[in-house]
Amino acid sequence: MKRKIVKEDVDSQVFNFFNILLMIIFTAIIIIPIWNVLISSFSSGKSLAEGGFALWPRDFSLENYRAVFRDDSIWQAFFISVAKTVIGATTHVLFCAMVAYGYSKKHLKGRKLYSAIGIVTMFFSGGMVPTYLLMKSLGLLDSFWVYIIPALLSFFDVIILMNFFRSIPDSLEDSAKIDGAGDWKIFMKIYLPLSKPALATIALFNGVGQWNDFFTTKLYITNKALYPLQMKIYEIIVQSQTHTMQNIGASVVLETTAKGVQLATIVVTTLPIILIYPLLQKHFLSGMMLGAVKE
Amino acid sequence: MMRIKSFLNAGFLLLLALSLVLTGCTSKSSSAVKGNTDYKLDKNTPAWKLDKTKKTTTLTWYVNADWWNTDYGHDFVTKQIKKDLNLDIKFITGDDTKLNALFSSGQIPDIISIFDANSQMAQKANTWALPLDDLAKKYDPYFNKVASKETMDWHKLSDGKTYGYSNYSNTKADYDSGIIPSTTAFVIRKDVYDAIGKPEMKTPEQFVSAMEKIKTQFPKLIPFGPGEAFGEILQDYIGVPLQTDSGEFYNRNLDEDYLTWIKTFNTVYRNGGISDDSFADDDTALSDKIKSGKYASMLISGIPQKGSDLQTFMTSNPGKEYIAVDGPQSTVGHEPTLSQSGITGWMMNYITKKCKNPAKAMQLFTYLLSEKGETLTTFGIEGQTYTVNADGKYSFTPELKEMRQKNPEQFKKEYRMGEFFFFGHDKYNALSDDTALEATKQLTAWGKGKLKPHFILEGIDPDQGTPEARAVSEIQTYWDSSLVKMVRAKNDQQFDKVLDSYKSFLKQNNWDKITKIRSEKMAENRKKLGQD
Repeated sequence: MKRKIVKEDVDSQVFNFFNILLMIIFTAIIIIPIWNVLISSFSSGKSLAEGGFALWPRDFSLENYRAVFRDDSIWQAFFISVAKTVIGATTHVLFCAMVAYGYSKKHLKGRKLYSAIGIVTMFFSGGMVPTYLLMKSLGLLDSFWVYIIPALLSFFDVIILMNFFRSIPDSLEDSAKIDGAGDWKIFMKIYLPLSKPALATIALFNGVGQWNDFFTTKLYITNKALYPLQMKIYEIIVQSQTHTMQNIGASVVLETTAKGVQLATIVVTTLPIILIYPLLQKHFLSGMMLGAVKE
Repeated sequence: MMRIKSFLNAGFLLLLALSLVLTGCTSKSSSAVKGNTDYKLDKNTPAWKLDKTKKTTTLTWYVNADWWNTDYGHDFVTKQIKKDLNLDIKFITGDDTKLNALFSSGQIPDIISIFDANSQMAQKANTWALPLDDLAKKYDPYFNKVASKETMDWHKLSDGKTYGYSNYSNTKADYDSGIIPSTTAFVIRKDVYDAIGKPEMKTPEQFVSAMEKIKTQFPKLIPFGPGEAFGEILQDYIGVPLQTDSGEFYNRNLDEDYLTWIKTFNTVYRNGGISDDSFADDDTALSDKIKSGKYASMLISGIPQKGSDLQTFMTSNPGKEYIAVDGPQSTVGHEPTLSQSGITGWMMNYITKKCKNPAKAMQLFTYLLSEKGETLTTFGIEGQTYTVNADGKYSFTPELKEMRQKNPEQFKKEYRMGEFFFFGHDKYNALSDDTALEATKQLTAWGKGKLKPHFILEGIDPDQGTPEARAVSEIQTYWDSSLVKMVRAKNDQQFDKVLDSYKSFLKQNNWDKITKIRSEKMAENRKKLGQD
């Protein structure tokens, strides 16, 4: 009996050893390129031009970041990006939750019709031009609200939230009703606090989407004051390339290269959203487990 | 029953409301105000000088390029345009997607600039743009004085009218005058050239041996690169004929003389003289390699575009700069037929049918095309930003010159000269030595007298959307990869095999028909150019 346990230990030790080794290799494959981007973004144009791979900056320089932040309007763009991510994600979650709350009640009139309408829109969208026409008639062209209003509802998120709401026992609601609470109060005080994991998950998905989205800007926005970071930075990259094309200012040794600016850009745009991730991760994980186990 | 009825009613009301909103908006945009002609037309005075309207006009100008700087009215150049024309311009930029969305929604801007004169959009310009000939008659006859007749004729559509005008459209006269700089050259690093004893590199044997010398003496450098040179650039450089003797389309890719040189490059490759990266590098990587002088020698085209990279290398490596020397030459005695921007030009500018004030738009076109507009956008205003010296050369004032070199960002922001090039033209750049970089001067000087117009070959591809057009693009892709395979071939058999498969690919893909279409279009071109 004793021997068997020892044997199992050896087995699992071997397993653990290879498991850890494999995971280290796997993690390294993911982390090294990211690290390389981060390090290279701190290298001078000259050392980048020499090419090759580096795990440490050969010639430390902040010029790439200076090139990105030289334009004052980047802070405005940063503000727009943050605003649209925060407002967009919050309103999206609240709006979807409200719809899902109503939708989770079996006594809702016309429930089947709503779900038919919702499901159809999940599979078929109007396409670019009709959507453009719609935005135009709604007066959303060149307005900040084009980032928020069309993104308010996602039927997919409504379904996820609805399922989550259904798992909340009816007895909670009944007892609240007995105490004199109305639907609003029940929604705000019982459903929302109990659904934090699901809400956080959807907020994160939506927030990342909002942060990364530049197509909305490309199509509907012409006013540069409303450009988010993604679009602004796209402009900076394109301009760092046309700079050489227009062959201006070449008599000075350039401190930056187009590649350096691109790398700095990647770091600037990705970092904020990566930093938010750990804050939501706790909720996120339990949210992802939603419906994984059936009681 | 009652419930269903009220539901339907509500739905109907909603639809009605929506359609009202939609139609309300469209009717508003279609009742555009047409421009006024309160001024009396005069053939000899540009209309912008005659138009005394007090009220500032605002025009929307769409540029189909994300990189366009949409700023207007703050820098020296656009401030002057704003003042002279009493005109505000709102620039919009975007890509094809945005342009499509604008067109489909009927929100067509007043002026549109696109980049492909052979695109469907340009070919169908008569459906959405106003003919410049008519506009000139109606609003500004002076336009005909500043517009080049050749360019206007060249862009004529089948209805006999010209809708778009392009920049950098070089005419035969421009070529003949020798004012257009050549932008192709075989260049080699000066230190390398000196070290290998300045050998001749004109014949295949000489070339191969020179590359071998570089390989042994400079093991850290790549003797020859980049890969972009092996196609048309090389064909032009060694002077492969543009057409057959009878004026038909000639497949330059199968020219014996040219193939001999491709075989030579294959030998250089096999000797380790060409890096595999040369075929894979993107613009950024290539630019970085030139900046750090990785290539010992190159056959380059687009010297002005590579100017800043070449200059960077020159500045940080004095005495090692790239110089142009006589490179590969035809084995059958052809002269180089270097190519440059042709008569088609680059950006196409249109005034649309939805233009709120076509008179003002026409004034703007005339203004920018005139001597005044061209010098303003290239050099500014005489006495303020540039001076003309005794031999007629334009030169920036010393302060400006310094700012342009030391603080290009500030120069761009405050002056923006050389950037507002909707109607730019090479001959104005050539007026000054300041517009070219030190590192490129010797390179462009080498090509003097070697430029030959390629007008006859412009826009001769089958019309977009036809099966032949699809075949052409497939053949092109096939050729591009065949060319790389040929340069990288391990032995002569492999080289020949690739070439043979290209030939049979041509046969399978309607090549005869394509050749016929191209020959016909070449005949049309000849007619447009008045060579018939």
